[in-house]
Amino acid sequence: MLTCKELVGRSSDLLDGELKFKQRLAVAAHLAVCLRCRRFIRQLRLSQRVIRQLPEADVAELDALLKAMQAFRRDHH
Amino acid sequence: MTDEQDLIQRLLAGEQGAYRQLVSTYQGAMRAVATAIVGIANAEEVVQESWLAVVRNLNGFAARSSLKTWLLTITANTAKSRLRKQRREVLLDDLTGPHGSIDDRRFASDGHWAGELPLWHSDSPEALLDEQALRDCLEHTLNSLSELQRSVLLLRERQGLELTDICNLLDISHSNVRVLLHRARLSVFATLEHFEVTGEC
Repeated sequence: MLTCKELVGRSSDLLDGELKFKQRLAVAAHLAVCLRCRRFIRQLRLSQRVIRQLPEADVAELDALLKAMQAFRRDHH
Repeated sequence: MTDEQDLIQRLLAGEQGAYRQLVSTYQGAMRAVATAIVGIANAEEVVQESWLAVVRNLNGFAARSSLKTWLLTITANTAKSRLRKQRREVLLDDLTGPHGSIDDRRFASDGHWAGELPLWHSDSPEALLDEQALRDCLEHTLNSLSELQRSVLLLRERQGLELTDICNLLDISHSNVRVLLHRARLSVFATLEHFEVTGEC
């Protein structure tokens, strides 16, 4: 039986679909009986969604960059 | 015509709004790739140079790959040509965020959780991110990770790249990507947990 520590070690692979069939079964069997690990995986998935939605920094000096791109385009076409 | 084809047509026509849309959409992903390869200090310069290469080559974009893949490949190539020295070792350094990780100390000697795992007060990212203090705290954590860890995390989670694409862009092995990603995720988890328990960063 997988320990909780081993399950945490494989948690990213679980999220990314990187586990082989037998490993997936072992993880599923552990999760079926372990409340804390179920909570861990649920909250790990939540933190994944949090990073996805964390606002991105604006592009610094966007206008200057756009101007440079336009000028470059004129020179090269 | 797809949105992407439409955008490319508008770019080829020189429409300024299209350039603005292009940069705003893809700059973050390009910065993450550049940072992973040349480091944060040189990343902005590499991204700027990449944009000029994009403009120069736009006519040749054959849509064999997605626009994003094409842009990130240009960025990775620009960054790599910057690295005059021998390619740096990928250091699987142990830099973790300010709130640690989910490490050995959390487990008893039999491998089970040593204590309770705190339940977070909300299960929606929107509700969690509603607090400015938490958003700042997460930025702080991301900035504490190694450049490579942070880039891999952002490329995977925010940009939705496949692990294989990340390996190819950054020239690192599949197992290294998995290790970097795992460590970064546990650091983010530790920050969220810390914030949920203490209410502060």
